[in-house]
Amino acid sequence: MLRRSMPRVMRALLVAGAFGCAAIGPVYAASDTMVALVPPGPHPYFATWKQGGADAAKAFGLKAADFKVPQQWQLSEQNELLESLLAQGYNGFVIFPGDPVGSVSTVSEMVSNGAPVVTAGGCLKDPSDAAFCLATDTGNSAYLGTKQLIRAMGPGKKRILHLTGFLADPNTQLRIDAVEKAATESGDQVVQVIADIDAPEPAAEKVNAYLAAHANDVDGIISTAWVPSVVAANALRKIGDKRIHMVAIDTDQVVLQAIKDGYVDGTMIQNPYGQAYIGAYAVDKLRSGCQVKADAPFKSNALTKKFIDSGTAFVDAHDVDSYVQTMQDKTKQLLSTFATTYLTCK
Amino acid sequence: MPLSYDTSSAAALPAATSALRSGLPRSRIFISNEFGLILLIVIFALVFGTMTHGFTSHFNLFTLGRNTAVNIMIGLSMMTVIVTGGLNLAVGAIGVCAAMLCGYALQVLHLPWPIALLLALALGAALGAVNGFAVVRTGLHSFIITLATMSIFYGVMIFLTRAEAYRNIPFGFVHFGSMKVLGDVSPLLLLALAVALALAALYRGSVLGREMLATGARREAAELSGIRTGRIITLCHMLSGALATVAALMLVARNGAAIPSMAGQLGQDWLLPAFLAPVLGGAVLNGGKAPVFGTCLGAALVSMLTSGLLLMQLGAFWVQTFLGLLLLLAMFLDKARRSYLAYRNLA
Amino acid sequence: MSKQSLLRLAQADWFGPLVVTLAAIAIIRGFSPDFLSPYNIQTLLIALAINALIAFSQMIIIAIGQMNLSVGAIGGLAAIAFAGMMQVWHLPVALAAILSLLIGIFCGALNGALISATGISAFVITLATLAIYKGINLGITQAQPFYGIAASVKHFGNAALFGLIPMLAVPTAIIAVALWFLLTRLPIGRFILAVGGNEHAASLSGISVRSVVILAHAISGFLAACAGMLLVARLQLGQPSIGDDWLILSFAAPVIGGAVLSGGHVSVVTTLLGVAMVALITQALVVFSIDPFLVQVVLGLLILAAVGINRLRETHLIARRA
Repeated sequence: MLRRSMPRVMRALLVAGAFGCAAIGPVYAASDTMVALVPPGPHPYFATWKQGGADAAKAFGLKAADFKVPQQWQLSEQNELLESLLAQGYNGFVIFPGDPVGSVSTVSEMVSNGAPVVTAGGCLKDPSDAAFCLATDTGNSAYLGTKQLIRAMGPGKKRILHLTGFLADPNTQLRIDAVEKAATESGDQVVQVIADIDAPEPAAEKVNAYLAAHANDVDGIISTAWVPSVVAANALRKIGDKRIHMVAIDTDQVVLQAIKDGYVDGTMIQNPYGQAYIGAYAVDKLRSGCQVKADAPFKSNALTKKFIDSGTAFVDAHDVDSYVQTMQDKTKQLLSTFATTYLTCK
Repeated sequence: MPLSYDTSSAAALPAATSALRSGLPRSRIFISNEFGLILLIVIFALVFGTMTHGFTSHFNLFTLGRNTAVNIMIGLSMMTVIVTGGLNLAVGAIGVCAAMLCGYALQVLHLPWPIALLLALALGAALGAVNGFAVVRTGLHSFIITLATMSIFYGVMIFLTRAEAYRNIPFGFVHFGSMKVLGDVSPLLLLALAVALALAALYRGSVLGREMLATGARREAAELSGIRTGRIITLCHMLSGALATVAALMLVARNGAAIPSMAGQLGQDWLLPAFLAPVLGGAVLNGGKAPVFGTCLGAALVSMLTSGLLLMQLGAFWVQTFLGLLLLLAMFLDKARRSYLAYRNLA
Repeated sequence: MSKQSLLRLAQADWFGPLVVTLAAIAIIRGFSPDFLSPYNIQTLLIALAINALIAFSQMIIIAIGQMNLSVGAIGGLAAIAFAGMMQVWHLPVALAAILSLLIGIFCGALNGALISATGISAFVITLATLAIYKGINLGITQAQPFYGIAASVKHFGNAALFGLIPMLAVPTAIIAVALWFLLTRLPIGRFILAVGGNEHAASLSGISVRSVVILAHAISGFLAACAGMLLVARLQLGQPSIGDDWLILSFAAPVIGGAVLSGGHVSVVTTLLGVAMVALITQALVVFSIDPFLVQVVLGLLILAAVGINRLRETHLIARRA
């Protein structure tokens, strides 16, 4: 008896509550754009997304460009958050998809509710309703980083340890392949790939255990994820061994300090700030009547044919202090031609 | 075992009958668990409806229904084992394993999706049967057995799939996840309610269901009265596995892919909703009670709170704290209700 | 050694686990000569040091016949409190450490108080407090790590005695001895085991069950907080996810070591050996470059095997007594 009455009670209430709430309608004025920047979970990589969003909101007069994090790195949490944000009235999204395919349906729902979606940092697998993907060309970044490492290790056949992140991250496989390619080209060998260590505890355990057993079998370390970079930099400092060369990724303080102290040769920086800044800008443009050019010069990667490289660069002890400037220059450069290159606006 | 949830359900029965006799059937409804939950749902719906922006939007109602459906299935999956006085920590692991098999059958074997679903359900039930068999045979508490099997099931699944997701799910199946019927209702919610009705019928109307309850309430007594309790417990675990599979398949339909990480590492992320719904719904960890309707309401309340708290913009990071506090609050209320019943019975 | 004393040795609860542990070490050493290199021993000991505290934290609750699902949440909260107080409030290390330990003790005692005040199962109470403590952790940190760890803590995390024994193992060693002393030599230890063995009898014999339960949970919270803080020293940052994956390990190690989940029978030594076995297996899988995906399977099978063997031993003992 109670079971039958429940939906009725719910419905009555919801109708009663409806007076307080405005429906989400398509209102196309730039100042109305509320962009939500949503990563798949908490991760230090996204620390500059917040700033990028805030700066974009100020620069382009958006109503909001807020950084919203799911509490765990988990697809269902990101989905629930996205659903909630749409209900809250956010009408444009910059998303790093939690899964390249698992997020397609959610993105379609957002777009069909009138909220354009740009994927940033990671891409969705085609076909999807995302306007385009603005991300690091991860394969290229890993390839260039490995080349730098090979140069630092000097001549001869060298053995490389590759540390990388979540296997669930669509970028991880691209990185593994790229490192392999760079090594094969110069006759070096990737002796081991340790993956799925983008959380500190397992990373510390596995990296230390591997170095403990095989430190003598390795000449260089390439890390293509944030946390392993930190852990490996700490491990090299602890061993105190500058024989093993290393190229890291991203800009954790630990890594930057290790570069200055000579334990790490350099790091491949990415441009998360620019992803957020330009992503928010593009979403606003898409809401105000612009459309993605049919013949835009997109690149393509393993997942999508609508790929835009957000930039990558190698920094070493010489320019480690000016990496912020390097990336902001890249962002400005990308932005200056963005609208004319990729969009047609009325 | 250490699971000594205070059981005054024995006291509840006479209290209820005495209330009936004294012509006060209403008081029984008012202090029932279900009524308490409905009251909470009503209150929170009003709060969220008036205080937040977007709680009653069509889109939110639709997604709320969809999330509720999954939580109901997860909660019922745990409840069927709690009925026997056991626990099933492997709900998430079983669900993911079955979902991955479904994905494999669709993507690699190219089977039609109804057959893939049946395969998945069979695997879920089979893994449940493994749990049940191990529990019955070793005589160990299901906590430790399912703690071990959640590791094993999940580990084997990850090993076989290499943590790769299956992504070629036919549109006909995925469409269930985004479809709307009767306005803003997800078909998944209707499915969950249908399953709940079937379960309620099982426990109220069938011999098997009554045997399950009897086994959970007093295993020795049930054994003496001729019930093959070992078989019943295994059956309960199989049922749990099958229900966990349904929950996982709902998520596959919703995401359009079978993803190994969909219930978190080892399927642990399902544990909180799995216990929240039945415990809020009035299940007793010592077994013998099957509050199907309460579990559904509990799941609805949890889903609504999650949605509402997100909308309140308290910060996504505080949601978990509030859910924990709510669980405590619900338990204290339940405790107070029982004491009240006991007191009335004496008076 | 006479046959008699050998037999008695074989019956001791720590004998089986010890033999297995030594055999595992010998086998791994046989395949990988680097296994007993100083650096690897250090790595092993660090894993052991932290995991042992996690296991002890659960063991003390198993001793009173309950379970504590919030071990990881307490450890994580203490860890980020420790790191946060250093980074944000710039507190001296000692003060931050003491306050974090107090947080751990308070969280544990709160569990105990709620359980004994309401009579609701420890399982449900600690499930709720797990969500609360973890939620507070995430609410404070916004899931971002604290980096501002004092240099002395970082140094402590990296330093080793005689180039072999990591400093991180020192607190654990002290705690293990203290815990052993408490459980076997002090009245309070007897009370804890008595409550676990038979709560009703314990209360009849004049033990205040309520205070014993609260005390055991407070100790559990203290140990979890210690583990969390050692992890901060080891990882060199206050990571909010500390504690997320402790649950299985915390049960696995005591159970593999032979603890009886219904309470009243735990042992510091066998729990330590249980931790060692888990650490060795994790190591072995890495050293042999065995598929990391299989780690979970092996761990699960190990738990089943251990409880199975315990079960056999119990029935065997009962049969002998009869």
